[in-house]
Amino acid sequence: MINPADAVAAYNQHATPVPSAQTLGDGGATTPVRNFTDILRGTAEEMVQANRVAEKVGMDAIAGRAELTDVVTALAHAESTLQTVVTVRDKMIQAYQEILRMPI
Amino acid sequence: MDDLKAAMFVGGSGMRAQGTRIRIISENLANANSTADVTGGEPYRRKIVTFKNYLDRDLNADLVRVRRVTEDQSNFNLKFDPQHPAADENGYYQTPNVTSLIETMDMLEARRTYEANLNVVDLSKRMVQSTIDLLR
Repeated sequence: MINPADAVAAYNQHATPVPSAQTLGDGGATTPVRNFTDILRGTAEEMVQANRVAEKVGMDAIAGRAELTDVVTALAHAESTLQTVVTVRDKMIQAYQEILRMPI
Repeated sequence: MDDLKAAMFVGGSGMRAQGTRIRIISENLANANSTADVTGGEPYRRKIVTFKNYLDRDLNADLVRVRRVTEDQSNFNLKFDPQHPAADENGYYQTPNVTSLIETMDMLEARRTYEANLNVVDLSKRMVQSTIDLLR
């Protein structure tokens, strides 16, 4: 069974606080804080990269320069990367919404 | 890059290699009757495809590609037809060393290998998708 206390502890462990405007302001905070936004940005960049490759291969295929198998693998890779990013984002936003709905 | 996606690209490389093989087989079959048009000239020589593995550093996996397309050095067949432009003084001319039965069997093997690689791509893609579905 999932213990609520364990869940809270696990959440605390993974949820690094968003850096406040003050820490960002004083001389450039050098410690790289991996917060939710950064993670989301990283995965989104990976997704954009995979999509760019797929798009390029697709255009090459239309022009008759690319192999069909290259198109298939590149598109499948881009598709699964996109799905991963979208699903993880939905899941995270869902978690945030759960917290927002919490009565105070 | 995780392993399932790497498997997808490995399968893709296998499909590409077998595609080249099919192309060479089709060349052999299409040219099974291509002969020289002068006496002493050589007819079409059967081509053979060999494959090799190579390490893709991004994927950290062994992919396959065509090593080179070589020529079958076996003897040509002889056919008797004194009217043929390539016929020698005895009335014989050389025909390609292509046996359509061998080419058909090679084609069957290439097709099966292609389908196996296609299944790898399809399966790994479906496995990734159902894992993502687990998150929803």
